Formats: sequence, C-alpha cells, structure tokens
Amino acid sequence: MTGPHGVGIGWRPEIAGFVAELPGLRFVEVVAETVPIAGPPPAGLVELRERGVTVVPHGVRLSLGGAEPVEPARVAHLATVAELLAAPLVSEHIAFVRAGGLEAGHLLPLPRTREAVDVVCANVARTQAELPVPIALEPIAALFDWPDDELDEAAFLGEILERTGALLLLDIANVHANARNRGTDPLALLDRLPLDRVAYLHVAGGAEHGGFYHDTHTDPVNREVLELLGELCARHRPPAALLERDGHYPPAAELRTELDAVADACGFPVVT
Amino acid sequence: MSAARSLAARQAELVLALVAGGPPPPGFAPGPLAAARAALLRKRAGEVARHWPLLAAGLGGRWPTVFVEWAAGRPTAGGLRDGWDLARTLRARDALPPLGAEELAVREAGLRYDGQQPPRRRRLPAVGRASGAVALQLAGRVRLLRPAR
Repeated sequence: MTGPHGVGIGWRPEIAGFVAELPGLRFVEVVAETVPIAGPPPAGLVELRERGVTVVPHGVRLSLGGAEPVEPARVAHLATVAELLAAPLVSEHIAFVRAGGLEAGHLLPLPRTREAVDVVCANVARTQAELPVPIALEPIAALFDWPDDELDEAAFLGEILERTGALLLLDIANVHANARNRGTDPLALLDRLPLDRVAYLHVAGGAEHGGFYHDTHTDPVNREVLELLGELCARHRPPAALLERDGHYPPAAELRTELDAVADACGFPVVT
Repeated sequence: MSAARSLAARQAELVLALVAGGPPPPGFAPGPLAAARAALLRKRAGEVARHWPLLAAGLGGRWPTVFVEWAAGRPTAGGLRDGWDLARTLRARDALPPLGAEELAVREAGLRYDGQQPPRRRRLPAVGRASGAVALQLAGRVRLLRPAR
C-alpha cells in the first residue's frame, strides 16, 4: 500500500459521484467517524479502493488535545477503519473537541504550553499503540489563542512531532487563517516547520467575516491560499495535496477548476 | 497530575463559554472568543439544516437567525435532536412553517423521542401530527397523509 500521492479530494457522500469520475485520482480522504465498522464501507469508497485509489481515514472526534485520556472506543474505531480501507496512514488534529461532558462541535485550540504538549503526546502515544499504521497530525485553524502561551506555533508543533514521531498533515489554509487572524507572517512559519515530515497537505476555502478569516470549507479556495501553497511547494513539495470541501458544493466544473488550481500550484499532474 | 486536572478544568470552562453561555474564562481576548462562539453556532446551524432540510427551507432566509437565537447558550444534542427540539419549540409558539410541520410529523411518526434520550425507531404503527400535518407509519414506512395548514 502506497502513501498518498498527487492531488486528492475529501470524499463525501454528497460528491461521491463527482469523485468517482475523476480519471486521474489516486488519493482521497474520508472522515473516519462516518465510516461504519459493523457493515461494509460505503460502496463509493470500496470502488475507489478497487481502482487502487489510496483512502486515508481522517479523524475529527478523537480529541487528542483533551486533558482526559483519549477514549479507547474511538481509537479502536479509527484503527478498524484503517484496516477496512487498507489505509497506509490515518490523520487527526492537534486540538480538543470536548471537555467537562460537553461537545464543542468543532476543533478547539490548545494553550501552547509544555503541559499541553505533554497531554497531546500522551494521547498520541495511546493512539499509536492501537493503530496498525502511522498517524499524521494536523495543526488547526484557531480564531483565538489562550492567554498563557509559552511556545510559538513552530516550537509547539516541532516538539509534538519530535516526541511522538508522528507525521505532519499541514493544512495550508489553516496556516493562512492563523497568520491572517494573528497578524503574523505565514512564510516565517513555513520556514520553521519540518516540511520533510509532511505526509500530505490540506487545501480548503474560507471567507472573511466580521474582521476574521474563517476556515469554512464551504467557500472557494482563495488566491492567497493558492499562492501560499505555491510558496510551500517551492520550498519542499510534499507527496500529496488534498482539497477539502464540506458543504455548499459548487457545480462540478467549479470543483474541477479548484482541483486543477491545486495541481497547478503544486506542480502535480491534473486529476480531472 | 494536578497540572493535567487544571488543564481539564480550563478546557471545560472554555467549552462552557463557547457553547453553553458560560462566562468568558479569564485572560481570553473577548473579540476573538465571540467570533469563535458565533462561528460554532453557524456551523451547527448548517449541521441541523442537513438533518432538517425542510424545516430550514421553510424558514428560508430567517433560518440562521431563528436557529442561532434558539441555540445560543444551549449545548448541542446532535443535529437530529437539536432540529427536533427547535421544531417542537416553534410548534408550541405557532411559528413552525408548513414544510417544517410536515417534516416534524413524519419524524414523530417514525421515531419515538422524549426530548431527553436519543430518538428510537417505533415498532408499532403510529401517527405523527404537527400544525395540521399528519403522517402515518406502518411497518417502518412513513407517509404524509395530510399536508400542513
């Protein structure tokens, strides 16, 4: 089983027909929690697997950054999905999604403290112990920061990657979003990240709203994100880049144009 | 251990502030926190609309506002139950649009939901009613017998 290569797209039931007809596609991602483990995986995914397309399970609910230990049942589910889909790796986020019995409904940022690094590393280790394949960790887009950050983003991520041995799933739209909302330089962050550890990239659309850039996944990919993608690939091109779209699906022609723009920015062959 | 407990408490405080109307935790910049709270509500509105497409369509352009007003300070019970609770609240206020009433009637006929526990499939034939709409469920198949007023 090979790792992700070239341009991929997030497989969602709503666009399964569109994805099935992409002639050059070799890589998709599926939200791990949406894959049932009792029955067979969704037919669309099975067909892609039979075509030799790599399917990467992407977890969104593990809460690796939660102060409580990661729930064994959630880890077991992710591991089973990886086996069902013969995935070469899985991915999850450096974030927490619940606390004190309440679901946040989204990925929330951690304080960039040594304490939080310890919490994440412990949960990643618990997860790795059960997984049949490597895990790639994705830094999130955050609209706010904690008041007591001790480390900057690069040091925080670098420490977690080094201690866990995990791969990096770098979301270039998140890099843009955080730089835009914090008023920092996205290129300065790229220059300090271990780009040789990137398993694949995420690219997604967003929108300006109320003075913030929101990583919505329901809007088109904007020009700055594509430019940043080009800058990144000029430094060190990762093996693959995946377009994420999670709603307000545009007509097929527009989605093909976005996939081509991602391929163009990275210098990958078009898949459309 | 005590450090981990304190992070747990602070994470709980933050989630409470973001989704359940809790006070903003000390030290956080209020503007970005408010933006995050609003973004969570918008995302949740989209998720509930996926479970309740007719309810959302029936409210049209008012959907985001109606949902956010209802949901602010109320933690989610998942898209299905959030939409169900909102539809019942609107019905009680006589503010449920006909499309939403028909969707609610169909759901009430197919599933038993007490507002506390997750909805469960009904085993026996049942009739669901909402604002004049009537739906009938027989052997797991639900049909709308009468449209809403």
